[in-house]
Amino acid sequence: MNREADMEITEETRGNARLFRLQGRLDSNTSPALEQRLAEALSNGTRGVVIDFKHLDYISSAGLRVILKTAKALKRDNGKLLLCCMQDYVKEVFEIAGFDSFLPILPSPEDALREI
Amino acid sequence: MNAQGCLVFELKNDIRELAALSRHVEALGRRAGIPARTLLEVNLALDELFTNIITYGFPQGGEHRIRFHLRADPRRLTIVIEDEGVPFDPVACAPVEAPCPLEERRVGGLGLHLVRNLMDEMSYRRTQGKNVLTLRKRIERQEPPACEAG
Repeated sequence: MNREADMEITEETRGNARLFRLQGRLDSNTSPALEQRLAEALSNGTRGVVIDFKHLDYISSAGLRVILKTAKALKRDNGKLLLCCMQDYVKEVFEIAGFDSFLPILPSPEDALREI
Repeated sequence: MNAQGCLVFELKNDIRELAALSRHVEALGRRAGIPARTLLEVNLALDELFTNIITYGFPQGGEHRIRFHLRADPRRLTIVIEDEGVPFDPVACAPVEAPCPLEERRVGGLGLHLVRNLMDEMSYRRTQGKNVLTLRKRIERQEPPACEAG
């Protein structure tokens, strides 16, 4: 299988926010693609970002770095990053990294979009 | 030592080899009946260490091999990683800071922070021009391992 295809990203605009849905594995192979898509959204003026992790099976520190970088960039511009629907294992990795202390993880995309 | 619970393989210093790494870990896990959660944690720890080796280990470039030995005993998984990269002791690396405000977060050392939390033991030695890292992880089984015929 083509490694690039190990993660699929879909995105849509919901009100003032941009909703990203991830599927597959977010590791050092696939994280540059997500980094680029998020950077494009931010450079187009998006200030509210929701990332839906429902179908994400795996995350490594390379993926966490992209999330942290995006959170910092949005905060600088008075924007907001919210995460939702994390599988238990992915959530565990967020907790070990301590990211759950500054990034809210919500139960559904609707809950996250309401907070934007 | 049960031959079914042993696996030795080599990967090139190429990030695309991550797919092969996870396939090997899963194959051993199936053979040795290791719980899925434990396998995911081991997979992540090895991903982080392998990514570190290929990112920082060979500043001169070129193709190199990284060797993995995995051994699954009934209650413990032992992993040895050998590489001929620049000397690097992940055990001696300082842990990342305690949780702090977003603006102050640094990303350096995050991978090793995950490894330290996911594995139960980690020891390092430099020998014959190689980094040799030994990792141990307890296997928490819900029930006794099933006996496999054949």
